[in-house]
Amino acid sequence: MKKLLTVIGIISILGLLSFAFPKTFEITGTGTEKEITAQDGNVSGSNQADEMTQTDAGKGISKFFRYSGFANATPGHLVMLLVGLVFIFLAIRFEYEPLLLIPIGVGILIGNIPFMLESGLKLGIYEEGSVMNYLYFGVTAGIYPPLIFLGIGAMTDFSSLISNPRLMLLGAAAQVGIFITFIGALILGFYPAEAGAIGIIGGADGPTAIFLSSKLANGINILPDGTTVRNLIGPIAIAAYSYMALVPVIQPPIMRLLTNKKERLIKMKPPRAVTKLEKILFPIIGLLLTAFISPSSLPLLGMLFFGNLLKESGVTKRLADTARNSMIDIVTILLGLTVGASTQADVFLTEQSMLIFVLGALSFMVATAGGLIFAKVMNLFLRGENKINPLIGAAGVSAVPDSARVVQTMGLKEDPNNHLLMHAMAPNVSGVIGSAVAAGILLSFLL
Amino acid sequence: MLSEIQFDLSNVSGFSITVAVVGYIIVFAALVMLFFIYSSIPKLININVRQKLKRQGKCEDCGDLHIEGDVNAAISMALYLYLDEAHDEESDVITIKRISKQYTPWSSKIYSTNTYFRTLRR
Repeated sequence: MKKLLTVIGIISILGLLSFAFPKTFEITGTGTEKEITAQDGNVSGSNQADEMTQTDAGKGISKFFRYSGFANATPGHLVMLLVGLVFIFLAIRFEYEPLLLIPIGVGILIGNIPFMLESGLKLGIYEEGSVMNYLYFGVTAGIYPPLIFLGIGAMTDFSSLISNPRLMLLGAAAQVGIFITFIGALILGFYPAEAGAIGIIGGADGPTAIFLSSKLANGINILPDGTTVRNLIGPIAIAAYSYMALVPVIQPPIMRLLTNKKERLIKMKPPRAVTKLEKILFPIIGLLLTAFISPSSLPLLGMLFFGNLLKESGVTKRLADTARNSMIDIVTILLGLTVGASTQADVFLTEQSMLIFVLGALSFMVATAGGLIFAKVMNLFLRGENKINPLIGAAGVSAVPDSARVVQTMGLKEDPNNHLLMHAMAPNVSGVIGSAVAAGILLSFLL
Repeated sequence: MLSEIQFDLSNVSGFSITVAVVGYIIVFAALVMLFFIYSSIPKLININVRQKLKRQGKCEDCGDLHIEGDVNAAISMALYLYLDEAHDEESDVITIKRISKQYTPWSSKIYSTNTYFRTLRR
């Protein structure tokens, strides 16, 4: 306990120093070696004399301190460090998407360690030539998301979707969140390209959100009126992944609100056995059809269906194993870390980020409601054992497999013998396809 | 900061509404097309199966050919249990055969004596 108090005491003293010193000094000059002068400009002659007599060791310590994180910390940095710690806490304590939240949380810590930005040390993720900047290239160039999709394709079993294709419509219905949020973002003053990137949060698909934001809201594209779009990759990715992790918190109240007990108790017909030929045909037909309709979604859907064919063909087991294990793990680590690090306080803590978070939450809720309502509408036309449990409509948002898991939990709460997981996986994976198609359409309209 | 947020409906142009409406329709249409294709694939596959079954005389008017996953699992389990039981009902014939070579070091008496004990006795 004493040791803990000592450590906390030292940290708080250093923290106080960090708030006191940066205000005293101002950095001037343009070279890498900066000249530090007093800010108020009223340095007396005796003080100047004191500086002249300062020892070299003193200067060294002073310089070391100026380069340290304590001297460069701002409240923004501390807020973001706290956010990173909360992410890590949520991942470890409640196991909310730990494979994503741990890399993102650590990335936030790495990206928000304060340092002297003007020193040219090439440390920050936005500084050209820094290690993090090289890794971040995979995000800005849209390389990581298709690789993630390859892994998802290689690990997803589309049997439940193939056995009951009508559930595909639920995945389509849930994409309403994307387009309503797009309109909402426009009303709040975002440019159309930025609004498109924000809207895709409603797809509840992290890689798709990163892919689209890296193309539409990357801080590089020039709009027709000559202005440059803002770099919103960080806030959009963090919002998408946060809401994906919070699926067990966000969805159940909406599911309870929009369904009654009788509907939640509906038992669905068990899915039929799917032949190997159907499983092989699924990725081939899916690729050809979706790519012809929306060629812009080819990087995502091409890789998704390619990965699935590796799995289902049965002759490329080694490639499928690599895609769904080692490769997706490596890319997830790099993606999570760099997305987390991209939330540098000065770039992330803006009014736009807050709006994106609000819009993202609304988008997620609208998407969930869209799937649920459409399932109820479908039930009006279905009879007997073909009726569907409307809860599975909530899995139309493509947070795979979390939303399907939430549906299973909700179903079991109502009836311990009603297992909805397999049924919910169908709209869940069709949501992945739907959100990727929507991303392609927005890209072709807005780029 | 929140008080500065402005809701401006004039930002929503005709183009934006077109993007939203047409975009959603295309997403829906793509998945509806996939639905129709995947609904018809099993029917096409079953045409061939029905013809084969009719030729073999196994059914006149083959009804629903789909087997549910749990039925498949039950059949697999039954087969597994049957084959597992079948293993226990073997002929009991011992298949070890006497070989023509009589001598083998494994049955040699000379190797069964222990020199170590002899050393101790001395």
